Amino acid sequence: MSARPPRDELAETTAVGEIYLRRLVRAQLGLSLTALLSFGGVFAGLPLALWLAPGVDDVQILGVPLTLVVLCVAVFPVLIGVGRLYERRATALDEAFRDLVGGDAADDEDA
Amino acid sequence: MIAIAAVASVALATIGLGAWGVRLARTTSDLFVASRAVTPWWNAAAISGEYLSAASFLGIAGLHMRIGAAALWLPLGFTAGYLALLLFVAAPLRRYGSYTIPDFAEARLASPRVRTLAAVVVLTIGAMYLVPQLKGAGLTLGEITGAPYWLGILIVGAIVAGNVGLGGMRGITYVQAFQYWVKTFAIALPACLLLIHLGGLPERAALFGRELPSAGPSGLVVELDDAQRVQFPRATSYTLDGRPQRAAAGEERVLPAGRLQLPPGAAVPVADGTTPKPGVEWAEPVSPGGDASPVFVYSLLLATFLGTMGLPHILVRFYTNPDGPAARRTTVRVLGLLGLFYLFPAVYGLLGRVLVPELYVTGETDVVVLRLPEVAWPGLPGELLGALVAAGAFAAFMSTASGLLVSVSGTLSFDLWGRSDRSAVRRRRAFRVAALAGMVVPALLALGARRLDISLLVGWAFAVAASTFCPLLLLGIWWSRLTTAGAATGMVAGGLTASGCILTGLLIGDGNGEVMEALLAQPAAVSVPLAFATMIGVSLRGRRRSDWRAQMLALHGPEGLGLEELGLGRRVT
Repeated sequence: MSARPPRDELAETTAVGEIYLRRLVRAQLGLSLTALLSFGGVFAGLPLALWLAPGVDDVQILGVPLTLVVLCVAVFPVLIGVGRLYERRATALDEAFRDLVGGDAADDEDA
Repeated sequence: MIAIAAVASVALATIGLGAWGVRLARTTSDLFVASRAVTPWWNAAAISGEYLSAASFLGIAGLHMRIGAAALWLPLGFTAGYLALLLFVAAPLRRYGSYTIPDFAEARLASPRVRTLAAVVVLTIGAMYLVPQLKGAGLTLGEITGAPYWLGILIVGAIVAGNVGLGGMRGITYVQAFQYWVKTFAIALPACLLLIHLGGLPERAALFGRELPSAGPSGLVVELDDAQRVQFPRATSYTLDGRPQRAAAGEERVLPAGRLQLPPGAAVPVADGTTPKPGVEWAEPVSPGGDASPVFVYSLLLATFLGTMGLPHILVRFYTNPDGPAARRTTVRVLGLLGLFYLFPAVYGLLGRVLVPELYVTGETDVVVLRLPEVAWPGLPGELLGALVAAGAFAAFMSTASGLLVSVSGTLSFDLWGRSDRSAVRRRRAFRVAALAGMVVPALLALGARRLDISLLVGWAFAVAASTFCPLLLLGIWWSRLTTAGAATGMVAGGLTASGCILTGLLIGDGNGEVMEALLAQPAAVSVPLAFATMIGVSLRGRRRSDWRAQMLALHGPEGLGLEELGLGRRVT
């Protein structure tokens, strides 16, 4: 019984299955929090930076204040970039987990 | 005339697309989640189309014109809310396979009572968010045709209720995707053409320099329909119905209804509730005190960042993704589509400050998007562009109102009407009756809410969503120890605190210190941590569900493990 496939442990929600699952949930949550912190650094720091650095108001790009350019335009590509990176990594984590516990492919081997 | 035709064609196209959807809406499952076979791009356009409401199309530009660059935190928060959704909610919730938030609450916590509580919250947020949409419709129709306020509410309400009741979501998915492109085109094209026509931003001194918004080189004429309380920022002469008058700097006066004329270059008086600001101050996203204080900005960002996932009409749409990874792909596309749209509202705020300063006098800055094209480009081009933005505004009310009504009527017919197993025909009939009932109440409220600020109602909805459904979802998905008692007390505590703060703020008015005022207007910074702390604290005193491992597996187990046949991992197929 010691060589039971991980998939069965998962399916029967045993303590061993729980270890596999917990590892996945922690990895996914860690990834999400990393993405949140990396974007949050910009997102949450922006009001503070604009407030504490009054000199920024004088910088202009094509006659428009830099603060306005950052707030209206520059933040969106950052947002999309973080989202895209996260999506790839999260899908990769799912795939690694599938390989680990053996999904449908493992079924075929058993049969 | 052109504007009326444009609005009518958007309305007809919506009805047409809805009718096309009706023929596809065969089963109850179709009606609710469009059989979950919509591609990520369609879905992303539909989600964005549903999300971009009156607040986005008219409200941001109007608020920008009124309070300055601090209003531009709103589009950032509205978009970032989908990042929070992507990182923590989209894939697990789709895998779990519930139809709505009440459905999720009941399945996750095995408690019909939590479901009922969640249903009540859905109806509350839904109504709070429907009222400003209908109000926007009434204002817009009045602006372009001079029709009475109630007529716009009646027309939009009737079209939306009919469409939702007859087509369900299958129709709505394509209607919403169509509406996204109407809205983006309608806000982007006039913004670009006006900037080219004017040769860039005019009057930089009023925008970013020392100047206040002022009458143009030929003076300014404002027709006042009602008496209006205003403040004169600088000493100026003016005439009222031809009688010459003088006002001292900083003087407050009540102007009677009539024709106000200001001499060329005079600083315009501003309506009660608006602070006159020179360009430098107006262009600052954060400044001490007032409507741009750091406390208010952070609280608003928190409400929008965490509140988006709790809007009931948004999550429903994620179930039309076939699986978890598709839900993630859809959400990334939504970030792109929303970012594209939100490039443009600020253009109207900037141009409006210079070109339509009369809105400062009347206090109706909410109509700046509609008014600007004809003022900035007199003649046929302006009229055509004005018709285009009017059509876009109508698309905004109809799409958001449709999405909300699907959620509200789904909740009414499924969660509160009695959930005993009934025939599909009777369920469909219940859904249709609910669609009608779900529209009547907000329409009546909108008739009474003519004087209430659109941004107030919208901010309230986000604060309540962030203080109730956000902790329920985040803890329910990522924390196996959440209990029924914890979830219920947390939602009640968060929702009551958020609503209580806003009501208190309305009752006691201004003058209570900067931090206090900011938190009463936007209480998320207090109510969200409180809701989380209550949920966690109460849950730790109880026992977690015995089947928590299966619950976590259903939420986080990737597709393709072959667990479905074992009756695990997917509750609903």
